[in-house]
Amino acid sequence: MSYMMYILLFGLVLGLVAVASNPSPYFAALGLVVVAGVGCGVLVGSGGCFLSLILFLIYLGGMLVVFAYSAAMAAEPYPEGWGSWPTLRLMVGYVLGVGVAWGLLGGWYEEDWGGFDGLVGESVLRGDVVGVSVMYSSGGWLLIGGGWVLLLTLFVVLELTRGLSRGALRAV
Amino acid sequence: MAPLIYSALIISLGLGTTMTFASTHWYLAWMGIEINTLAIIPLMAQNHIPRAIEATTKYFFVQATASATLLFAGISNAFLTGQWNITYTPYTLTSTLITLALAMKIGLAPLHSWMPEVMQGLNLLTGLILSTWQKLAPLYLIYQIQPNNPNIFIALGLMSIIVGGWGGFNQVQLRKILAYSSIAHLGWMILILSFSPPLALLTIIIYILMTFSLFSSFMLTRTTHINSLSTTWAKIPILTISTPLILLSLGGLPPLTGFMPKWMILQELTKQSLCPLATMAALSSLFSLYFYLRLSYAMTLTMPPNNPAGTLPWRLNPQHNTLPLALTTTSTICLLPMTPAIMSLMPF
Repeated sequence: MSYMMYILLFGLVLGLVAVASNPSPYFAALGLVVVAGVGCGVLVGSGGCFLSLILFLIYLGGMLVVFAYSAAMAAEPYPEGWGSWPTLRLMVGYVLGVGVAWGLLGGWYEEDWGGFDGLVGESVLRGDVVGVSVMYSSGGWLLIGGGWVLLLTLFVVLELTRGLSRGALRAV
Repeated sequence: MAPLIYSALIISLGLGTTMTFASTHWYLAWMGIEINTLAIIPLMAQNHIPRAIEATTKYFFVQATASATLLFAGISNAFLTGQWNITYTPYTLTSTLITLALAMKIGLAPLHSWMPEVMQGLNLLTGLILSTWQKLAPLYLIYQIQPNNPNIFIALGLMSIIVGGWGGFNQVQLRKILAYSSIAHLGWMILILSFSPPLALLTIIIYILMTFSLFSSFMLTRTTHINSLSTTWAKIPILTISTPLILLSLGGLPPLTGFMPKWMILQELTKQSLCPLATMAALSSLFSLYFYLRLSYAMTLTMPPNNPAGTLPWRLNPQHNTLPLALTTTSTICLLPMTPAIMSLMPF
């Protein structure tokens, strides 16, 4: 199990490096997919399988897909992948940075993060599912606030893109 | 902008700050700050000119970075201490990270570079919201952190006073000057925050009054450049009397209100045996005084050798609402004798 978590976290760091090295949005979205996927794996390994499923569905299947299609519409004639020198040099730099952190911190070791088990005592339900139900019961006002924030984001995006080519998204 | 969406955005601005003020959980405080950032983005971009869009984009990047750092620091704090309370940050790492993230949010040096450029791209009303309302929520969180040693606050504060003064030297655009003025005043606030939080509260309130009056004066005459400032005498002559007084109040000269926070802060620093620091802060605010003086010189003491700025205008009924300008100008100029009363209200 430790090896599983180790591989997943390794993939997480590599995916972060792949995104942060500034390739074209196509490849950066691929990096984000990898990061989200292994993040879901880490969640499953910690016991939060429901949360992981929701993350996969909503984040990957909803938002990232929408982002990928929008990025595909903003087409570049020569997209820059991870083979091009500027991106590759940033990738190598970040990996070396991880190595420097390893050296400075004296390595890092495996630690038990706890997980979703035992959060609500030993019960039928796990921590992540109980969290969802608490959000609807005691956390009612926060749910309304969260819903308002999502609606606000929609208004913001619609207002920014109002007017098509006369608005904020002109080809300048 | 359509009235419905405009009111939704303004209400969300209020909601965000209220949420941060009312919260003791890091998550909710961060959420309030994010709501503020989101709600002001379309307000910044409302006239859709490329310069405004550039300012909006820069603001969004900076604030997103700072928010991510803030959330990371809050979660690290929860990981290390096991609870989410805002006031409990015993580890230097997390409290420093939170301070730096919030300093980037409000534009303290050395994280200030975005401030003049963002301010330059906005219209005056949005610039006013940016430099007054958007500062409240992060300042409240900085107030609540109560770190172990005040060194980082002193460093941020002194650097901001120096940068805010020095950076405004060569500026002729009024919005950039106002941005540097905001940086300098926030520097004074952060400087005193670890020694006497009520004085920081006094500074922000006085600063909001002063900057509101200055922005309102500029909005009345729609001036954004020293050139147009110098010809406003023909349009509204009374402003040539009030605006220099507001500017000198911002510069911290007695007997105007702006002297009050500086005076109290220098007194508090002296009481804490930090006399060299007090001297450096006082001398560095002379830089800001230089460009405030230049603005008042251009407006009141010179008559530029232009063609006549206009024919004598018709004295029609004024369409604009001048009550906010009147109230804030009066408080900017006349509140210094109230210092003992205000000090007695401050909980020490």
